[in-house]
Amino acid sequence: MAKQVSRRMAIGVALLLAAPRLASAQAIFDPKDWNGTLGAGAKSWIAERAKLPPFTAPRTADGQPNLQGRWGGTWSGDDIEEIPKPVDITTPAWESYVSTPANGKIPYQPWSLAERNAHREGLGREAWSKDPTKRLYYDPQAFCVKSVPRYSQRGYELVQTKDSVIMMLNWGHIYRVIPLDNRQPPSGDLRTWMGSARGHFEGDTLVIETTNLNGKMWLDSAGNFIGRNAKVTERLRLVSPNDLDYQATIDDPETFTQSWTLTARQRRQGAGGGQGGGGNAVRDPYAAESWEHACHEGNGEHEHEIQNLGFKWYFPPVPPKK
Amino acid sequence: MRYRLLAAVLVFAASSAFAQAPANMPSYTPPKTADGHPDIQGIWQVLNTAAWDLQDHGARTGVPAGRGVVVGNDIPYKPEALVKKRENDAKRATLDPESKCYLSGVPRITFMPFPFQIVQQADKVNVLYEYNHTIRQIYMNGNPHPDGHIDWWMGDSRGRWDGNTLVVDSIHFSEDTWFDRVGNYHSDALHVVERYTPISPYHMRYEVTVEDPKVFTRPWNINTILYRRIDPNVELLEYECYAYQLEDSWQNK
Repeated sequence: MAKQVSRRMAIGVALLLAAPRLASAQAIFDPKDWNGTLGAGAKSWIAERAKLPPFTAPRTADGQPNLQGRWGGTWSGDDIEEIPKPVDITTPAWESYVSTPANGKIPYQPWSLAERNAHREGLGREAWSKDPTKRLYYDPQAFCVKSVPRYSQRGYELVQTKDSVIMMLNWGHIYRVIPLDNRQPPSGDLRTWMGSARGHFEGDTLVIETTNLNGKMWLDSAGNFIGRNAKVTERLRLVSPNDLDYQATIDDPETFTQSWTLTARQRRQGAGGGQGGGGNAVRDPYAAESWEHACHEGNGEHEHEIQNLGFKWYFPPVPPKK
Repeated sequence: MRYRLLAAVLVFAASSAFAQAPANMPSYTPPKTADGHPDIQGIWQVLNTAAWDLQDHGARTGVPAGRGVVVGNDIPYKPEALVKKRENDAKRATLDPESKCYLSGVPRITFMPFPFQIVQQADKVNVLYEYNHTIRQIYMNGNPHPDGHIDWWMGDSRGRWDGNTLVVDSIHFSEDTWFDRVGNYHSDALHVVERYTPISPYHMRYEVTVEDPKVFTRPWNINTILYRRIDPNVELLEYECYAYQLEDSWQNK
């Protein structure tokens, strides 16, 4: 065990600013090594899921399907739509996570597609911008906030009580408490980053409906977004002892032409922190513990450097009047 | 280690002096969880003014007067540490870590004027705080504190049950947090022992022993009450302190 462990473990902003040169804590994919295949997104997982034998989740003492445990992060942080070829060393080629519609494209309306494209163009990333000096918004996640469904990109621990489901992320100490008691969400005057989540079980499936979002978060670091009036319906089902099928359906007629769904596989983790697999859990008794991820504290002055670079704070766009 | 033993003795002394319910409250045995532990789950909050000042204080603009939560009201600073505490207080507008929305540290997080929710597992007690969506995971899995020193804002917390009392031992703190808004502070040698004792379905006694031989001449104690939030629609919401601060400071606001 290290005698001195820096509390500055969370340098999300620094890494993003310096990418692609400084990528010490991110996976590195050298585009030169690309073998022409795509990482597994919705399509591959759905094909694999179809081959699994039928599975019924074990039950908790309260008789609920038992989904408890540590679940690993799933979808790539970059672009939940298909990345047909490697963008840079932190952005490999990847299948779309969008399962509906079948073309894997988010069904934007013309205004919202233009908005998404402007987000992407304004990121200042050479691979995505005609003019990398043009800066609009920085990925809001860099400031240590999360939303639904983007939280599920990271690993989390799921705990069930008789009347609620709790999800705890190691990343940024984000959590959700999801009541199962049929209570109504608050009025639209009360909006939050993580929204207001209400859950119930349908057979083996945990269904979570989230509303009251403040709309200040993107879906990924490539500028994809949903509106503040979106309803996000997540469906979580254990399809094997160690695989959780994760689906999130977005209903947001102000922003999209139809409701759409992203689908991902979440794998059971033995180790803590979402930092990797469970291989060390046997040797390290602390591997399944969640140690502090002080995100904002670690960002420090980088937050103001982003401001000084000319990036604006992201506010959700206002849909055009019909 | 000598200090830790001393702290243990003081916690015992404090608990025998204060842990019994007030005279007008019958003795109370909490229900048990499925794992057989005292069930202290639910949403709790303090009803005191310790967020502003742990000690007795008068009112000023925006600050209600309050009786302190420190047993005996005295915080036994070393002389040079008392000088620093007074400097902190004088410059609190810029020096208070709360002004930068940093994680609050322990026990300050308990006194922040926001609710928090306790969720129990067989080998862990999770405390979810509305303020800055802070999580404390209090491990009861048999692992001792990891080797260190580790600079953590919220420390490393290990718990055990002493009868109906949850006892939480925390070390590995950074020196960057304070205890309140008037500059009461500690070093990275901080060692905190908290005792959560249910005394009715709706009340818990909250006792803390603070020791830090770099800053204080002896360990000292806090004794106050946590109240269960029973409002019909109560649930944890959000106070994303740093997000509001950044948004307010942005040029395109």
